[in-house]
Amino acid sequence: MPRYLIERTFPEGLQIPMTAEGAGACLNVVETNAEDGVTWVHSYVSDDKDKTFCIYDAPSPEAVRRVARRNKLPVDRITEVRVLDPYFYH
Amino acid sequence: MHALLERDDCLDTLAAAFYDVAAGQGQVVLVSGEAGIGKTALVERFTTMQQEAARVLWGACEALFTPRPLGPLYDLAYQTQGALPVLLEAEADRAAIFAAFLGEVQAGPAPVIVVVEDVHWADEATLDLLKFLGRRIHRAAVLLLLTYRDDELGPDHPLRFVLGDLPSRLTRRLRLSPLSEEAVATLSQQAGRPPGDLHAITGGNPFFVTEVLSGEGRSGKGRSGEGRSGEGRSGAQQRIPATVRDAVLARAARLSPAAREVLGVISVVPGRTERRLLEAMRAPSLDAPSLEALDECIYAGMLRLGTGALSFRHELARRAVEAALSPLRRQALHRQVLEALSGREPPEVARLAYHAREAGDGAAVLRYGPAAARQAAALSAHREAAAHYQTVLQFAGTLSLEEQARFLEGRSYECYLTDQIGEALQARQAALELWGRLNRSLEQGDTLRWMSRLHWFSGHKAEADRYAEEAVRVLEALPPGPELAMAYSNRAHLHMLADETAEAVRWGSQAIELADRFGDTETLVHALNNVGSALLLGGDEAGWDHLEKSLRLAREHGLQEHAARAATNLSSCAVRDRNYARAMDYLGAGIAYCIEHDLDSWLLYMTAWRARALFEQGDWARAAEDAGWVLAQYNVPPITRIPAMAVLGHVRVRRGDPAALPLLDEAQALAMQTAELQRIGPVASARAEAAWLAGAPEERLDEVRACFDLARHHKSPWLLGEMAFWRWRAGDLVEPPEGTAEPYALHMRGHWRAAAAAWRQLGCPYEEALALSDGDPEAQMAALEIFESLGAAPAGSALRRTLRAGGVRGLPRGPRPATRANPMGLTDRQMEVLGLLAEGLTNAEIAERLFISPKTAGHHVSAILAKLDARSRVEAATLALERGLLGQGRLPDGDSQDREEAVPK
Repeated sequence: MPRYLIERTFPEGLQIPMTAEGAGACLNVVETNAEDGVTWVHSYVSDDKDKTFCIYDAPSPEAVRRVARRNKLPVDRITEVRVLDPYFYH
Repeated sequence: MHALLERDDCLDTLAAAFYDVAAGQGQVVLVSGEAGIGKTALVERFTTMQQEAARVLWGACEALFTPRPLGPLYDLAYQTQGALPVLLEAEADRAAIFAAFLGEVQAGPAPVIVVVEDVHWADEATLDLLKFLGRRIHRAAVLLLLTYRDDELGPDHPLRFVLGDLPSRLTRRLRLSPLSEEAVATLSQQAGRPPGDLHAITGGNPFFVTEVLSGEGRSGKGRSGEGRSGEGRSGAQQRIPATVRDAVLARAARLSPAAREVLGVISVVPGRTERRLLEAMRAPSLDAPSLEALDECIYAGMLRLGTGALSFRHELARRAVEAALSPLRRQALHRQVLEALSGREPPEVARLAYHAREAGDGAAVLRYGPAAARQAAALSAHREAAAHYQTVLQFAGTLSLEEQARFLEGRSYECYLTDQIGEALQARQAALELWGRLNRSLEQGDTLRWMSRLHWFSGHKAEADRYAEEAVRVLEALPPGPELAMAYSNRAHLHMLADETAEAVRWGSQAIELADRFGDTETLVHALNNVGSALLLGGDEAGWDHLEKSLRLAREHGLQEHAARAATNLSSCAVRDRNYARAMDYLGAGIAYCIEHDLDSWLLYMTAWRARALFEQGDWARAAEDAGWVLAQYNVPPITRIPAMAVLGHVRVRRGDPAALPLLDEAQALAMQTAELQRIGPVASARAEAAWLAGAPEERLDEVRACFDLARHHKSPWLLGEMAFWRWRAGDLVEPPEGTAEPYALHMRGHWRAAAAAWRQLGCPYEEALALSDGDPEAQMAALEIFESLGAAPAGSALRRTLRAGGVRGLPRGPRPATRANPMGLTDRQMEVLGLLAEGLTNAEIAERLFISPKTAGHHVSAILAKLDARSRVEAATLALERGLLGQGRLPDGDSQDREEAVPK
């Protein structure tokens, strides 16, 4: 299954509290993703919390967009990516 | 009843599904796993548990090499009282039979559990029944339980399409896994045996485990008949695991000779062996004393007694016992079954044909095979019909050449209906030779016309044209008749598909005249369709009437395929005409008709066209859904895949999503083989736009130019406009060619406002925004809004950057920029060229600076002069300076680099 980097912009900043509520929000996203065979691997968040870079495994870019719509998450850009490990070259 | 080991979770899932059914919501459960894994045992246990709460109907598919059409439905029907058995006996219309079954299961107050076992063996009509039920299950209090061997399903197995078609919301899947080592140990213990390596040699398969445990010794040497497996047995009978064969035969070896005798008899009958069949066989072993032998088999666990019928407990065991019979004895037994069955009324021709074949009785094959084929075809089990004809043809050497040719034609037609085009061609070719030897010109001509159609289906356009011409030539030498009318219509069809409208109308009109004269409705409907479509493609509105008439006649006469084709062509013509209101009406009605009548190939094709209509109207999410669904189905022919791939690829290009180009490369390769403008054009357009958005519009100019020439040759205004537009964008064209659709022509002439209005009128927002983005800053802001609402990231970023470079402030936040235009409608590339031109560079120098050919540089310069309405290079440079075009800070060097990184690849 292809792996994608998804860039998102949150003009108001992304707020996920470290509480049961925050965990619930993440689990909801994970569950919605699962309906379309999409897996959220993990994300990087910019310091100002305006931008996120999410690593996803998904069957197609359309599946990524479909679940984003249901999760009410913005999508700026989807890029297909592969792992490069710098230490592998040692 | 002993416990089923390690199946509690499965029983829970089944119970949950049944709970939903009892609440009024129909459900499907698919129980899969290898042979002997315990599918039947699980379903039997579950239905026993629910027998108070539900009515259970049970049917099974049989391992006949050519299954009896609707076999399981016969089983199910005899457990009901209503009209269903009567309709089946009367060989009523399939739709009526299906409807009666649905009515039957909806009738009672209690929920119904419908079990259909071993659906990997299902005939085509049964698969259609399952599809029919699946599509209506939400309205019925029915639990549909299907069992199948998933390891016997190849990627193209027809069952896959049916399973994919089931409503995913209402479908649960249970894949049974082998027993664990602990469970096998428990079973061994219960049997009072040490487990040893039992788990390893059986792979945890419960049937094998049970068989081995009930055998006297595990190494029991049966009369296994090594080396007999390869002598023309049907495929199903060849694959018996050695372990189970040994286990079964070891067990059989413990039976008395009389019991072994009766076991052999029953082993040649797949599925159920009715008591009356055994009685009719009057086998010497079946007189009164040997009822004891039957009992012995039942008590030994080899046979199972159902209502009025005996069957092996397991199909694998039956196969093992049958394979161990000597060839002569096997043939003799099949002959006995054949004789016993032949007295019945009405004759069960599929069974008769099977046993005739296995008995090697050619005369009987020829007696029952054709009837079996016709019966299968009448029930729309075309795959089975084709197989029956194949068997008949193996024994047809004694028949007259004419009879052989007719059977070849029958086989070819059934193969054609089931997408086995290679086999269909082969049979038709053989028929052609026979008709030639018989000097039958009429049949030869008709066969040639078929060859043409089949070659078109395989994507061989040249051969299709050649055979089409030959058919007309042969038939025109004879007095005119329906065959000639159809040959004319076939030529019209081929020309229409290739956008050769004048020829299509000419041949089609001749066909209509002849078909009218001979009262041949089917050909009339076909020809009206071809002429109507051709007229519309040539821009003649009279075509709507022809097509509408074709649709009406087809529906009136129940010609479903033709009705679907008329609806399809009405839809596709309306889409190609960018008349979306009309298109969406036809598509809605047409798709509903196809679903209603299970016309799946037309359903797929029309869905691909709906994807295009949605895409062009800016509804990319639904367009991608439709196109993605089409591409996810099995066995979709290129003619349908290409338009779906073009839409999905184009959506990805406009969203800046990955995986666009691999899809479009594949689409292009397939489209080129068809040589049809309507397949090539949309793919070329998507690829051209991808190149333009990547900042290298000159990259695919060869493709665009070739498609441009094709579109101009066929006078296709919209595709010509699309191709002209991309050439113009690349600086490869200055003026729209004659016959360009108006909105494109307006845009290219610099009338961006009128162009945008025209696109808005049509309902194409992306094209509207493209026109606006070549307008003044206010228009560009409007364009930006449209791009952003569509999710057109690459075009939006490009325009945003242009606006910023032009000094516009306060743009809403959004993704980064890329390329785009200016008030004079110049492209980025042209702006670059203009800057160099103002520096006084020649075409050759510009070419060198920009790494393009001098010819392309020349094209850019001509385009610039035209857009600025300048008569010379000096005048252009002066105008550019006067209007501040060069003051926008968009000159080549500083800009091209961040364009590179800004554009998604």
